Amino acid sequence: MDPTHDVVVIGAGCAGMRAAIEASDSGADVAMVSKIHPVRSHSGAAEGGINAALGNASEDDPVKHAYDTVKGSDYLGDQDAIEILCNEAPGDVYELEHWGAVFSRTPDGRIAQRPFGAAGEPRTAYAADITGHVLIHVLYEQVMKRDILTYEEYFAWKLVIEDGRCQGVIAWDLLNGGLKSIGAKTVILATGGAGRLYTGTTNAYACTGDGMALALRVGVPLKDMEMMQFHPTTLSPTGVLITEGCRGEGAYLLNKDGERFLVRYAPNAMELASRDVISRAEQTEIDEGRGLDGNVLLDLRHLGAERILERLHGTRELSMTFAGVDPIYEPIPVRPGAHYHMGGVDTDVWGQTGLEGLYAAGEVACVSVHGANRLGGNALMETITYGKRAGRHAAEWALANTTIDVPASVEADAERELKVLLDRSDGERPWRIRDELARTMHENFGVFRREDQMLEQGDVVRGLRERYERVVVEDKGDVFNTDLTQALELGFLLELAECMVVCGLARKESRGAHARPYDYPERDDESFLRHTLVSWEDGAPTLDWRPVTMTKWQPEERKY
Amino acid sequence: MQVALKIWRFDAVAGERKLVDYEIDAPEWVTLLDVLDLIKDQVDGTLAYRKSCRMMICGSCGMRMDGAAVLACKIRMYDIAQSGHIPVISAMGNMPIVKDLVTDMQPFWGKIRAMSPWLQPGYQDPGEKEFVVSEEQMDTIHKESLCIMCGCCVSECNSMESDPEFLGPAALAKGMRFVGDVRDHATVERLQEYSGQHGIWDCTRCYFCQERCPKGVDPRDAIAKLGAEAMKEGIDSDMGAKHAKWFVTSSKTTGWLRETELVPKTQGVARSLKEVKFAMGLLKHGKVPPPIPPHVAKDVDEARALFDLVSQQGRGGAAGIVQGEHALERLEFEQGGNPDRDPFGEGSFPEPFLPGQGEGEEEAES
Repeated sequence: MDPTHDVVVIGAGCAGMRAAIEASDSGADVAMVSKIHPVRSHSGAAEGGINAALGNASEDDPVKHAYDTVKGSDYLGDQDAIEILCNEAPGDVYELEHWGAVFSRTPDGRIAQRPFGAAGEPRTAYAADITGHVLIHVLYEQVMKRDILTYEEYFAWKLVIEDGRCQGVIAWDLLNGGLKSIGAKTVILATGGAGRLYTGTTNAYACTGDGMALALRVGVPLKDMEMMQFHPTTLSPTGVLITEGCRGEGAYLLNKDGERFLVRYAPNAMELASRDVISRAEQTEIDEGRGLDGNVLLDLRHLGAERILERLHGTRELSMTFAGVDPIYEPIPVRPGAHYHMGGVDTDVWGQTGLEGLYAAGEVACVSVHGANRLGGNALMETITYGKRAGRHAAEWALANTTIDVPASVEADAERELKVLLDRSDGERPWRIRDELARTMHENFGVFRREDQMLEQGDVVRGLRERYERVVVEDKGDVFNTDLTQALELGFLLELAECMVVCGLARKESRGAHARPYDYPERDDESFLRHTLVSWEDGAPTLDWRPVTMTKWQPEERKY
Repeated sequence: MQVALKIWRFDAVAGERKLVDYEIDAPEWVTLLDVLDLIKDQVDGTLAYRKSCRMMICGSCGMRMDGAAVLACKIRMYDIAQSGHIPVISAMGNMPIVKDLVTDMQPFWGKIRAMSPWLQPGYQDPGEKEFVVSEEQMDTIHKESLCIMCGCCVSECNSMESDPEFLGPAALAKGMRFVGDVRDHATVERLQEYSGQHGIWDCTRCYFCQERCPKGVDPRDAIAKLGAEAMKEGIDSDMGAKHAKWFVTSSKTTGWLRETELVPKTQGVARSLKEVKFAMGLLKHGKVPPPIPPHVAKDVDEARALFDLVSQQGRGGAAGIVQGEHALERLEFEQGGNPDRDPFGEGSFPEPFLPGQGEGEEEAES
């Protein structure tokens, strides 16, 4: 008899654990399924902080937070979802603090808050520059307290759909081998992003868009997939994240001459403009020959050793380890890198997808809070607030409904499919396809986008998908076979890449992270103040549109 | 550049272990983890190891290089490759091996769970606000909260090697994270729990955990803090605690350690009778001075003054724990390395300027 649970959460980062905690507290029997141990999740790599209008560093309120987020999203964010986030954020942050989160403090003992990009007030609560690390550990503590079962190192490969609703997941057991069916009344996807689509990315190896592809494959549409955020400060050469907190603390961005070039792009906000604006500015400097070996420079020197050591200790450790640069004495070489997918599984404000029993929360989802450009510090907040909401709703639904049906044939079909892959012994191994995909996405679907390059990328991806049909997994064993799971991950990434290209071509305007300076340099609210929705039909993506929800704010010109 | 490694492969199904040589062409900036990736891609897809963030925060890639635990993503290979040294890579110690460089972490997590590792605030109710915690109070657990649970310390723990039940450095550091948190109101219960068998006092103070921790958690210091907090709370029935207490009493009274009295003070008179024969042997060989008359150090007043100072400063418990040598060394490095080096001095990157300002100044200077 296969195990069943009221709620199964796939992924155990901040969103997944927060959802599981809420579902557990709502009285549901909940389990998490994760391909890596919960504290290994990439939420832990978030550095700068979490946004909530606590008002500890200035007069602030949720309405200001909402306005900054709406404007930051280039008006593509759904304003009802944004208002919920900003209203619930303070309470949700206090709750984390009550659970023991080790936040940095103000001199009067409150949670410290720092300025962040495109935020009108210093609103980003932080724990030095390891905020994600602190949150993931406090959430895991609460998971242990509740004794929530985790299927650790289980790779979720297929969703079980029966009677038109999602009733579980089929996962590969990495430690022992073999497929396992786990039945559930409701399933919450919380698998994070897909940064591994790109060569230069801040994302972990685990960020392969699993949940987005799982949803896509069972007919659930993905929203705004063209919206991939490029973070302005990723460390050269590896792409490791250097936090926006550096600029929040006062760091400068310089070109090769030492000029604070942002004065020509965002004269008011300067280094604290929104991420899309700064990434484009950097890329322009680099393209026009004012970079240094393909980078610009992040200068912390004037902050002084004491402040760097106290608040940006992790940043210093990263740049010394991976670039051999001590930011106390030298500027850090940085460049834009793929960082965060604003797009994802289309959900409502309770995390529900269009498929009964299936939910999504965190980066895998697109509620949409971030629209065309996410503000730094809003991602961690979204994982908590929307993780909680998805967990609550999924638990309530599960407790009101009783049956779970995972037909034996579903697992048998999956076994057969896997056997075909494992039995193949002659052909190409996946890594070349993976590297080509990541390299070409970077070249053809990066900070700036051209029609011809996007068309070319569509051909490239389709070609890679054909090659993928014949790939060979070299490891045939049962024990810790990451050769197999990495091959399956590549299958996910290829489908997502094709979806992104289709959406990118269709959005004939420049908005947020989607910049087309060569053919459509302006935002076009008349035609494109709406979400792209992409579905998978007969082995190819099909496109649809959905209007943006607006409550208080009409689109205005966006300047920083 | 060419990078060579030897890897201890392990096949759990066949139960076979073998050392395999690898050599691969790699960019100069690669880390050990990057090299493993290149080997897995280009040489042998069956190689197994854990990885995720590749930026020293997820804690997945703990393994041993030349017999010492490291995070693979933190080790830059350039200098090693240039030196011609071929490092030997193997799985972490003190944990069963699953395959190649992958260990079974379940025992590790079991010990973390045994610490009741969640905040127990008791009946405090901060309402719709945060707990008020000073910067200084929060800073008390700064190092412990840096822990990424990679297992490097546990891998190297000598106590655990002889007693697999020992809670170990990672779990105890997690314990200190709560004992040191002013918001936690289960301090006494925790200290009693952690002071039991296989707990705080079973650490042999070899400092290997401190040496190998890739994040500067300094687990041995955390264990010392737990011990000091336990004594402050009067939880000192364990032999280890009595042993430590005697060091204090002895040096305070006579300025040095009176070893002859150490055993009865630690183990109790009845139990130390068993050691009489051993003690006589030591005495015969001049290894212990006769207990009577007590030998008082010439400058005992200085030792006493030190104790007075510590109590005047209120440095009882964890606050009195001075960081280990390794930490001091690192602290110096972290305080900015070379205070004479000028970030804007000759040879440095030019000072930042805004167009129309800095340029003009530069021209004026030249």
